[in-house]
Amino acid sequence: MRPATTTLSRRAATAAITATRPSQAQLLSGAAIKTTTTAPKSRYITSLSRPRQMQQIQQTSSIQSRPLRKYHSYEHPPPPGPFSPTEEAILSAAYKHVPEHGFSLESLALGAREAGYLDISTTILPEGAFSLIRYHLVKQREALAARTEALFRVPENQKHVSISEKVELLTWERLQGNAQVIARWQEALAIMAQPSYIPSSLKELAKLADEIYFLAGDVSVDPSWYSKRASLSTTYAAAELFMTNDHSPDFRDTREFLRRRLGEASELGSAASAIREWIGFTATAGVNVLRSKGVRI
Amino acid sequence: MSVSAARPALRRAVRCSNNTVKYSTAKSGLLSSPASLSRSFSSTVSSHSPKTPNSSSIPEYARPDPSRPTHFGFETVTEAEKRERVAGVFTSVAESYDRMNDLMSFGWHRIWKDHFVASLNPGFSPLTSGPDPRAPQHILDIAGGTGDIAFRMLHTAHNINRNPDVRVTISDINPAMLSVGKQRSQSLPATQQAVLNFVEANAEDLTKTRPLHSDPSAATISIPDQSVDLYTVAFGIRNFSNIPAALREAYRVLKPGGVFACLEFSKVDKHPLFNAVYKRWSFGAIPLIGQLVAGDRDSYQYLVESIERFPSQEEFRDMIVDAGFVVGGQGYEDLTGGVAAIHKGMKPRA
Repeated sequence: MRPATTTLSRRAATAAITATRPSQAQLLSGAAIKTTTTAPKSRYITSLSRPRQMQQIQQTSSIQSRPLRKYHSYEHPPPPGPFSPTEEAILSAAYKHVPEHGFSLESLALGAREAGYLDISTTILPEGAFSLIRYHLVKQREALAARTEALFRVPENQKHVSISEKVELLTWERLQGNAQVIARWQEALAIMAQPSYIPSSLKELAKLADEIYFLAGDVSVDPSWYSKRASLSTTYAAAELFMTNDHSPDFRDTREFLRRRLGEASELGSAASAIREWIGFTATAGVNVLRSKGVRI
Repeated sequence: MSVSAARPALRRAVRCSNNTVKYSTAKSGLLSSPASLSRSFSSTVSSHSPKTPNSSSIPEYARPDPSRPTHFGFETVTEAEKRERVAGVFTSVAESYDRMNDLMSFGWHRIWKDHFVASLNPGFSPLTSGPDPRAPQHILDIAGGTGDIAFRMLHTAHNINRNPDVRVTISDINPAMLSVGKQRSQSLPATQQAVLNFVEANAEDLTKTRPLHSDPSAATISIPDQSVDLYTVAFGIRNFSNIPAALREAYRVLKPGGVFACLEFSKVDKHPLFNAVYKRWSFGAIPLIGQLVAGDRDSYQYLVESIERFPSQEEFRDMIVDAGFVVGGQGYEDLTGGVAAIHKGMKPRA
């Protein structure tokens, strides 16, 4: 900072910085909270601007009785999910065979038999063995919401659970969902990494990160909405991989690993925001210095 | 009726695109049901309630009626006339059928067929202890005259999945096509020949089938209800006079849990540029190749016109659902951008 800066301009610069962060002020009002949950991923406009022909087909189609919602809503019950009742019946029966037979056609066929179908019935599942993996991912993700209350019960001696603590708790809870099938999880990861399944796998990962931040009560609407979810996704994927080789009791090493990674991510995030703040301050101050010299900016 | 009698009529009808005959299924059967729009807001209960097709009462459009108008390429004919003309077309192309497929699709139809069979994985069965380790399967290959699909099924079931208990019935309305298949089957291993069965039948009525080359006056045999594990039809269903009737017949012969699988040419509307090239090729080159190689332009003109008239992926899927089947995911899989598509439906448990 150059000594020429006057007290007045310094004060103005600080005010300018506060003004560039509208989100914090917004967050205090209830209306802002509602928009946060819907706005970043709303699909209103796309659904209205679809060609007429498409809409007509959807009216006739029975497939559309299972709409997929792309946002969280307090007002409406969640849609039934991506699996039709028949698929659900086969997959839920097949899922019980995963610890023994893995995420394989074998498990699927055994499940179909149990549900009263034929070996050949499993071929209507569009993605074969990957359907079973997706079933696991979707069910574990959906199960998180039900466990939230028990997870966040505040201990007597503690007043408040912060969002980052909640995120850590939820991520750990989700990782424990893999414990039952951990012996088969490496093979599942290998299937998920096949080129044709990568898009669906990444989509599921993004949904999980979004779910965790939503359940943790994060309501940011700034660009950190994306960076937080991206960093959590990478951390979660790394922890998942770590867990497949973890032989410590109750996966203690994985938990430590998760804590370290999340800590690093938040340190990195705070460092980045500090740098951003410094650059913003210096730039505004510089402009004010020029203004004080009579430059018309 | 020979194909030569159909030719003048065919020529007249070429490019007669203002045809008013439409698929009666999609229009009358499904549009009348209450609309269930996909909305991102203000959801109502009705939009969540699943639609259950009533398969016990057969709608009028799904009953074969020889005098009802349908289409033959771009031409309007009655169902009975279409049956005769299709028979004429395939009698005329039977000999050159495989060579022509290779020329028209640059050999790519083999890849579609391989993928089709691999995605069905016939004969796969989890190993269980007991005297019969692999479960038996009965596959019905409709319009499978030359055996393309059936032989691949047998290869997958017997050699890859090691399940010798898989038998295949090849059915076709056309004895000429069946004869080609029968001849080709002579080169298969004896174990596979033993489980093959060739029958002449109309796919809209599988209660009247007769073995190949039998006396026309001989008694017909019915394919019983709930006797088939897998019903396949590859590049055949668009030639049927009454597709809804054939779908309901498939529903009848399949066991609960049995799968209806269809490989058929479809629409490339999702890729406009590729679509333009593809249309140019199919309307410009294919009839010409037919004329040069098979000496029969009209049959191949019919082929490309019938592809054009076949419903889109979504419409055909809705016809399958309307017949009582359940589908997984979006209900179909596009091959080569939609030039062909695989539709699958499963008969639900009663």
